[in-house]
Amino acid sequence: MFSLKPPRPTFRSYLLPPPQTDDKINSEPKIKKLEPVLLPGEIVVNEVNFVRKCIATDTSQYDLWGKLICSNFKISFITDDPMPLQKFHYRNLLLGEHDVPLTCIEQIVTVNDHKRKQKVLGPNQKLKFNPTELIIYCKDFRIVRFRFDESGPESAKKVCLAIAHYSQPTDLQLLFAFEYVGKKYHNSANKINGIPSGDGGGGGGNGAGGGSSQKTPLFETYSDWDREIKRTGASGWRVCSINEGYMISTCLPEYFVVPSSLADQDLKIFSHSFVGRRMPLWCWSHSNGSALVRMALIRDARQQRKIDQRICNAITKSHPQRSDVYKSDLDKTLPNIQEVQAAFVKLKQLCVNEPFEETEEKWLSSLENTRWLEYVRAFLKHSAELVYMLESKHLSVVLQEEEGRDLSCCVASLVQVMLDPYFRTIIGFQSLIQKEWVMAGYQFLDRCNHLKRSEKESPLFLLFLDATWQLLEQYPAAFEFSETYLAVLYDSTRISLFGTFLFNSPHQRVKQSTEFAISKNIQLGDEKGLKFPSVWDWSLQFTAKDRTLFHNPFYIGKSTPCVHNGSVKSFKRTKKNYSSTLRGMPSALKNGIISDQELLPRRNSLILKPKPDPPQQTNSQNSDMEPYFREWFSKPVNLHGVILPRVSGTHIKLWKLCYLRWVPEAQISLGGSVTAFHKLSLLADEVDVLSRMLRQQRSDPLEACHGELGQSRMYFRASGPHDTDTSGTPEFLSSSFPFSPVGNLCRRSILGTPLSKFLSGAKIWLSTETLANED
Amino acid sequence: MASASTSKYNSHSLENESIKRSSRDGVNQDLTEAVPRLPGETLITDKEVIYICPFNGPIKGRVYITNYRLYLRSLETSEANQLASQFLNYHRFPVAHRPLFAFLNEEKFNVDGWTVYNPVEEYRRQGLPNHHWRITFINKCYELCDTYPALLVVPYRASDDDLRRVATFRSRNRIPVLSWIHPENKTVIVRCSQPLVGMSGKRNKDDEKYLDVIRETNKQISKLTIYDARPSVNAVANKATGGGYESDDAYHNAELFFLDIHNIHVMRESLKKVKDIVYPNVEESHWLSSLESTHWLEHIKLVLTGAIQVADKVSSGKSSVLVHCSDGWDRTAQLTALAMLMLDSFYRSIEGFEILVQKEWISFGHKFASFPTAFEFNEQFLIIILDHLYSCRFGTFLFNCESARERQKVTERTVSLWSLINSNKEKFKNPFYTKEINRVLYPVASMRHLELWVNYYIRWNPRIKQQQPNPVEQRYMELLALRDEYIKRLEELQLANSAKLSDPPTSPSSPSQMMPHVQTHF
Repeated sequence: MFSLKPPRPTFRSYLLPPPQTDDKINSEPKIKKLEPVLLPGEIVVNEVNFVRKCIATDTSQYDLWGKLICSNFKISFITDDPMPLQKFHYRNLLLGEHDVPLTCIEQIVTVNDHKRKQKVLGPNQKLKFNPTELIIYCKDFRIVRFRFDESGPESAKKVCLAIAHYSQPTDLQLLFAFEYVGKKYHNSANKINGIPSGDGGGGGGNGAGGGSSQKTPLFETYSDWDREIKRTGASGWRVCSINEGYMISTCLPEYFVVPSSLADQDLKIFSHSFVGRRMPLWCWSHSNGSALVRMALIRDARQQRKIDQRICNAITKSHPQRSDVYKSDLDKTLPNIQEVQAAFVKLKQLCVNEPFEETEEKWLSSLENTRWLEYVRAFLKHSAELVYMLESKHLSVVLQEEEGRDLSCCVASLVQVMLDPYFRTIIGFQSLIQKEWVMAGYQFLDRCNHLKRSEKESPLFLLFLDATWQLLEQYPAAFEFSETYLAVLYDSTRISLFGTFLFNSPHQRVKQSTEFAISKNIQLGDEKGLKFPSVWDWSLQFTAKDRTLFHNPFYIGKSTPCVHNGSVKSFKRTKKNYSSTLRGMPSALKNGIISDQELLPRRNSLILKPKPDPPQQTNSQNSDMEPYFREWFSKPVNLHGVILPRVSGTHIKLWKLCYLRWVPEAQISLGGSVTAFHKLSLLADEVDVLSRMLRQQRSDPLEACHGELGQSRMYFRASGPHDTDTSGTPEFLSSSFPFSPVGNLCRRSILGTPLSKFLSGAKIWLSTETLANED
Repeated sequence: MASASTSKYNSHSLENESIKRSSRDGVNQDLTEAVPRLPGETLITDKEVIYICPFNGPIKGRVYITNYRLYLRSLETSEANQLASQFLNYHRFPVAHRPLFAFLNEEKFNVDGWTVYNPVEEYRRQGLPNHHWRITFINKCYELCDTYPALLVVPYRASDDDLRRVATFRSRNRIPVLSWIHPENKTVIVRCSQPLVGMSGKRNKDDEKYLDVIRETNKQISKLTIYDARPSVNAVANKATGGGYESDDAYHNAELFFLDIHNIHVMRESLKKVKDIVYPNVEESHWLSSLESTHWLEHIKLVLTGAIQVADKVSSGKSSVLVHCSDGWDRTAQLTALAMLMLDSFYRSIEGFEILVQKEWISFGHKFASFPTAFEFNEQFLIIILDHLYSCRFGTFLFNCESARERQKVTERTVSLWSLINSNKEKFKNPFYTKEINRVLYPVASMRHLELWVNYYIRWNPRIKQQQPNPVEQRYMELLALRDEYIKRLEELQLANSAKLSDPPTSPSSPSQMMPHVQTHF
């Protein structure tokens, strides 16, 4: 399967003692400068030459020689050697092939195998030995290993210490994004009066790829919220500006939406009773008028009942049918953030750190024991129940959570993904993340643990992406984006260049960046803080061609034209064809969505007073839930309507692309669902081209060759019509595509045939556990 | 399960039979009962019953027993019960009956499935005979080995007398015969039963020589690789009953590996446990650990791992391979058939797979979901094969070996399952299939990728049922239709336009010609 190329001549110096490797010696030293590629504001902190990057665990045959640098943004390994055995590399424009952003580093282990010592390096620590080896455990499940056998011992040590220091900053303003943006402001100040140029500034974000000119609403402005109210057709709701300048709350956005019947003055008074002054925030309205609202707990016990009643009344008043409010106490229903974190740690341990073969036998039960899938399921299930309340019972739903900025983000988002097809488009999904995560004050800084204060870390955002993936897996034609998009989005949370995932709240961005601007003499003018690049500006990370991998070829867009007897109709009409299929039967009952509440560990932080709803009412609501789901699942699905997850044990799956993409042993060469994706892309591309030709033919046959024919939504393109059947699977496709596990030192060699990979080579690489820890 | 109610309709069976006899082709739809029947299917009795459906509770209905199956028809027609009755249509249990329905089946198809497999043709496709391998008719009357087919491929250098002597040293006389030959490196997969070594460690010069002859047909590697499908403990234990395995002392030029695959009894127990966790209710809160405790996927993994080893040895290791277990008909068939499926893309087509099934006998538990474009057939194809493995509607899977089938004149007296499938091939085609020549598939035999075949094992549970048809396949078919529609429209438009513009300078005449032209623009 793999073409075993002879080992390449390596880069080495004649000044150094001969290495103890099985490399062939290249007597001609290459005298060539290896220069890092740096971003604006990026500086090299330390570097070391003659470093060997290990590619395989049982042979040094494929190792690469080069220079290891530590900058204030990344660690970078610069080499002239091409990556061996790699057939495809999905390139991020901000990073070299061997680079790791500092914010992606989880743990740094230095080893001296002569002295049999190892040390996990924290910031500002001393290292008593000269490291012969550096192992970087990355947050994205990769493991990178460098050897310093031929490097200057002191420089090697210095680089290790620099990496440890710079990857674990003590202050937010030390994150690279500040330096980068500062530089941009300075540069642009020299050119145009203080306004940062181009994409670095506004951060509105282009669409993911090919030709989309839409911008993602960021919900930083009044008008974005106003537009969302109009888009959903919500009546009885208004944009509220009382938090302008963050006068009320530092963890709320400046603009948010509240019931029209609540006056600013009332809100100001009520706000004092809520944890974090986080009063009710409107998320979304159903076309039937039911609204989704999120809020923190009411802290003031004496006021609680009164305020609660006022809020509920106001929400009821905003409902065209004056329907009741259904409250969901997420703290009592769902696992808490510590539990989610614990599950994630176990999952990671299982997927990455445990020896592949040893975990095979007990894989299924080990996976179950991580509880990760159980939690994904719990969030999906609860969200589906709330969909029922909004959609079928016509009730407005209030999500309650202590602070209202963790579980609420996830549940509010999932409910909207299920209910509103707009959020299943790329722009819609991004606007949803802006609305329910970034603006709603999800604490990305703490939860992603960019500053390495681990006690607040929790992968709720990943859990949301995972749950979205489950829906995508179950309804592949309902989403505009692909699973690659979801994986890349997850990776982007660990590149400290974008403002999107860097802060605990919008206010924190303003406050910190204003301080930073003052300290750096940057003139902000009228701007509220520095404008960081937005992650939605995907062109910063990927070429237009690579961004097309974000597009899901299965997607049935509303706008996809379909021709019927000469007139163009929306594809929706032909969906009859699609929907005439039997879509399976109720997945409710025991195996489906509705069984008794999961016996999840409860969060015991706050005890709530009984809900205002009489208990019988709740029961009657729940008893109708089962038939609702049963009926929904018995009908053909409308991909532009509600989609509900199937949540039985057989339906919730491990998101392999995300969690196993760096594991060489798990990679299926020339296989995986991507091979079907590839075929479908070719066909979808052909249909696109034909439809464009058709449009042009119809308008003017002479212009048939004119226009946007060259653009394609698809990464894989048909070279001509009718050739989709003859083209084979491209050699570089694998179940990890577009990622490649080559060079990830999970445990063992990626060399040889898949079989020898599977059976032999059980040699575990120099295990750090066998070494004595220095401390 | 079912409780009988009134019995006054019991005696109607004969009448009904005469009514049915009158109708002809296809599936009969009797007006009075509306029980679909196959040609040759006759009603034996019927009864009013209450069927306790494990998913939907009790359903009043009438049970019909024919010489082929037990058929339950719901009497309740209310809307609430429509779902249930729809589902009940699936519940057709084949009834054990003598003579087997396959011999009474009068179905007619426009293709004859019995002609699908012609051993001579199949060996010719593989390039056999050649100067190392010959076709022998020594077993023409099944006197060498009654459980082997009449036609065998053996080393050119082994005489028929050699074969007879080797047969005495192999369990049930199942001597090593060729299953598959690699088109390029000419290494082979040979299958047989265990050698009759016994407690005393008997040796047989002829057998040793025969294996050496097999080895010598391949000059690339100096060893013959033997895969004993059994766990080594079992292989040793078999010595007590006269069996055993090839020892190092006796077979110098062979390397023996045990593949640790358990026997059919262990597997059957495992499958029973799978049934327990999926029927009638699917284990909910601890699905994964329950599934693990059945060990079913572990068996699948071991078989798959063994097959990968065989395929890899032949393809990358360039060594000929001999596979056996105890008798060489269960695990051996699993291994050789799977290895051949990985090695030879021909077997991944519908006809190729039918030939493989016919040739090697196959128990298929895991679909190759890892390679969605590599197989011409779809899931339905595998399911229908498994269904008719037990249905007795076709002669394909009746009896244990070719000699018995011949005695019973199966090809003359019964219909082949392949007739049914091949006369309706479109239904069983995988739209993503991409024909590839000589591509070896290397599945990853890891629990990380193995999943229970939910669409087969849990298909009766309405709550678990996956979307059918598969939404991905469905979408592909839609796009294919859309493409054809566009092409048609384009052609029409171009015709119309060329009529309008009397002399368009660049207007191509068909979209297929136009496309490359358009593309060169960019």
